Amino acid sequence: MTNTAPEQARAALDAVDRARRQVADQVGLPRGYWWVMAAGWLGLGVLGSVSPWLGGTAAAVFGAGHGTLASRLLAGRRRTDGLRVSAAVAGRRTPVVVVGMLVGLVGVTVLAALALHADGAEHASIWAAVLVAAVIGFGGPDILRVLRRWARA
Amino acid sequence: MTKARFDELIHPSTRLTLVATLAAADWAEFAFLKEQLGLSESALSKQLATLEEAGYVATERRPSGGRRKVRARLTTAGRDAFDGHVAALQAIVTGATTPAESPAARS
Repeated sequence: MTNTAPEQARAALDAVDRARRQVADQVGLPRGYWWVMAAGWLGLGVLGSVSPWLGGTAAAVFGAGHGTLASRLLAGRRRTDGLRVSAAVAGRRTPVVVVGMLVGLVGVTVLAALALHADGAEHASIWAAVLVAAVIGFGGPDILRVLRRWARA
Repeated sequence: MTKARFDELIHPSTRLTLVATLAAADWAEFAFLKEQLGLSESALSKQLATLEEAGYVATERRPSGGRRKVRARLTTAGRDAFDGHVAALQAIVTGATTPAESPAARS
């Protein structure tokens, strides 16, 4: 039997909770994922500018490729090669949050392109894609972190 | 339901944090654990060796870019011991705060 006092037990439980939260902070997607996504976004913007039909087809192929290639990453358990977060800690909502975020960014891209076009800008879809690609490349990990917190994922 | 069992081997603070970290992961690299726990290589090696000797942790060396990286994971026995230890800690805390146990409730 132990002589551990309740205060010591509480402190030990706090240490356990802290360690778990530190591992939970590692949930996310690898940095390379965001840069590849940004490059893809830019490419789709350029193709959409050349031909809407080509852009639409490329977007469908890109979406299917993303679903296949990134499916292992979307759970958010492999952000670094330093550890793999357990499924229990990573939760089940991260893939939904990532896909929801990407759908939202598609909407932002379309709205930005329409606004730029209405303003008379040439190559509106390319500039809209550049804007959103920069947001994804530089801010993807932070946006996902905030969205996960909102979704309690 | 996890059976509460206080584990003297896991309880020391550094080892408890190490086991709690491994319990939240499928596996972790030595370098990651060293950084998270702020331990020296020799101190972490010693802690892992103690846990491995008890059958709580398994380590494996994996080749990576010409180097070999050490990866640690909690075994089933280690996970059971950790869950039992956490349950025991919770029982101690709960026991101290349960109204039925307090002198006022008994009088």
